[in-house]
Amino acid sequence: MSTETAQVTEVKKPAEALLSKRRKKLLSDPLVDDNPITIQVLGICSALAVTTQLQPTFVMALSVIFVMVFANLTISLLRNTIPSRVRIIVQLAVIASLVTLVNEVLKAFAYDMYKELSVFVGLIITNCIVMGRLEAYALGNKPYDSVLDGFGSALGYAWIILAVAFFRELWGSGSVFGVPVFDQISGLFGDDFSLATNGLMVSPVGAFIILGLIIWVQRTKTGYVEH
Amino acid sequence: MQQSNVYIVTFSVILTVVLGLLLSGTSQVLGPIQKKAVELDTKKQILGAVLEASELSKMSGEEVFAYYDKRISSKVVNIKGEEVEKDEDGIAIIPENVDIGRNYKRKPEDRLYPVFMFLAENGEDVESFIIPVYGAGLWDAIWGYVALETDLTTIKGVTFAHASETPGLGARITDASVQARFQGKRIFDESGELQSVNMQKGEGRDYSDDAHKVDGLSGATITAVGVNNMLKAYMSHYSAYIQKRRSGESGGMAVLN
Amino acid sequence: MDLFNLAIKSIFIDNMVFAYFLGMCSFLAVSKKVSTALGLGAAVIFVLTVTAPANWLLNEFILKEGALVWLGESFAEIDLSFLRFIMFIAIIAAMVQLVEMIVEKFAPALYGALGIFLPLIAVNCAILGGSLFMATRDYTLAEAGVYGFGSGVGFFLAIVALAAIREKLKYSNVPNGLKGLGITMLITGLMGIAFMSFMGIDL
Repeated sequence: MSTETAQVTEVKKPAEALLSKRRKKLLSDPLVDDNPITIQVLGICSALAVTTQLQPTFVMALSVIFVMVFANLTISLLRNTIPSRVRIIVQLAVIASLVTLVNEVLKAFAYDMYKELSVFVGLIITNCIVMGRLEAYALGNKPYDSVLDGFGSALGYAWIILAVAFFRELWGSGSVFGVPVFDQISGLFGDDFSLATNGLMVSPVGAFIILGLIIWVQRTKTGYVEH
Repeated sequence: MQQSNVYIVTFSVILTVVLGLLLSGTSQVLGPIQKKAVELDTKKQILGAVLEASELSKMSGEEVFAYYDKRISSKVVNIKGEEVEKDEDGIAIIPENVDIGRNYKRKPEDRLYPVFMFLAENGEDVESFIIPVYGAGLWDAIWGYVALETDLTTIKGVTFAHASETPGLGARITDASVQARFQGKRIFDESGELQSVNMQKGEGRDYSDDAHKVDGLSGATITAVGVNNMLKAYMSHYSAYIQKRRSGESGGMAVLN
Repeated sequence: MDLFNLAIKSIFIDNMVFAYFLGMCSFLAVSKKVSTALGLGAAVIFVLTVTAPANWLLNEFILKEGALVWLGESFAEIDLSFLRFIMFIAIIAAMVQLVEMIVEKFAPALYGALGIFLPLIAVNCAILGGSLFMATRDYTLAEAGVYGFGSGVGFFLAIVALAAIREKLKYSNVPNGLKGLGITMLITGLMGIAFMSFMGIDL
């Protein structure tokens, strides 16, 4: 972010701008510098299992974005009324209800996707990112900021799992979003030419290795070192 | 903020009621749509055994239902080939609702075996018999439907599905090109013995002169063996019904054989 | 024999970590030392073995379509399966509390060892995943128990093995960007390959 844009928004105050510098940071920080998966090591559980193909991953990412935004909003609205002794169970109840909503909607309108994602939609409940943001941010901040925070974290999560899914589908099944790219490329070079797919990529092992490599690239770029 | 027990309990009760109402409301609203989605999925799978996938995907949900009602007549038989109309509790059985996977967990003698008859345009003559199959692949369950010609031995078409076979390897059993390999193969040999059809090890060979062999899946031998076992098991479970049907006992028609 | 088969399958072939990525958060966070990994692993075995059958009972007699039929014929139509997620997580949280209290009372030594891990476990995806898989796969009560136990043992093996490797890893020269999470992911991948050799085994 350049200082120039920051000054512009600064001038617009008294009331904090809809997308002030601070708020933009809420959105952009989790994308790279403070990415929930690659830096904070959260929410890896439910994500990787669906990343063999881009399409279910995309649905999963949308579901997580929905759940995070609305969970953050709800908890933030209720933040002054939630008794602190039962706050964990309240958070779980809110998340579980939202996830159930997603699950029911998927079952009604996208039954094929519902079958494919099976239990992994339910596992969003235990996705540590959601719980983590509720506990760390939404409980103490205003609704609009919390929504941005949730949206940012969910986006940070989404692009990582989409990236993993892209490589796994491309190398594992030779396609992107179900379009058989490898077949079409080999078609250009005649009958004898064909690109082989790697079965390891579609197995869970592929996900671990791809994610490991993405983390390496990303941390080398940001210069983050874990001790 | 001071939080008394009364406050905590009140808060919890209100939250529970609100969330409960929200969820049961959604479930009430979406329930019928979900039931329809499940039904549509089953009917599509059944029709998939006799129709081309491209043809089926062109149809809207309503068209599938209408087509199904017009062209499919269904019933349930037991292992002896006798028609079953009511379950133990005396409730009428709807063949489409018989859960093959759940039945698979019972002993073969106790299972219910649905048969779906694909009717000709006139809505009377049976064009083919569609039989559900279920078994284990490499990782998890595999299942499908096999459509037999009126001679009850030649395969008209198959459709397979799987829970979690390896994409690109075992999951290829859902490919139309793999399923097409089963067309024209025969379940019984000349003498009427059950031979089933078997996917062979390796891929790319031509088995068009052998009525019981099918080109295999390279790299997915265990899935292919799972398919073979599944077909063989279910064909033998249905063989009593098939024999009856052939000899014309269960209201069989002259079209057979 | 079937139960034994299921146990072997859930420990090695359908391993929670290597095949389904469940419980990854704690798997990565608590695998720096073998001693803590042992504690967490034991706690997971314990909680999974208890929650899988408990949730089975809940699912079978309350949530499933037609499950309320024992209350009377008129309840046969009720389908509460939309409450599955929220009830399962509630049971898990309650069970964890209960287990914590019982262990604290009757086995203070064990409590000292497991203590800090027990609350963590309520939000461990392996536990909820175990219950959800158990429900979608239509297990019987005995199968649910064995599956819970087997999955727990699978997680235990995975986390202890990883912790052992990471203890040795301290002496290796790992590139900066790979330190910590990155190299752990790669190691997990390699361990996954080793576990793949069990696949297709059917006893």
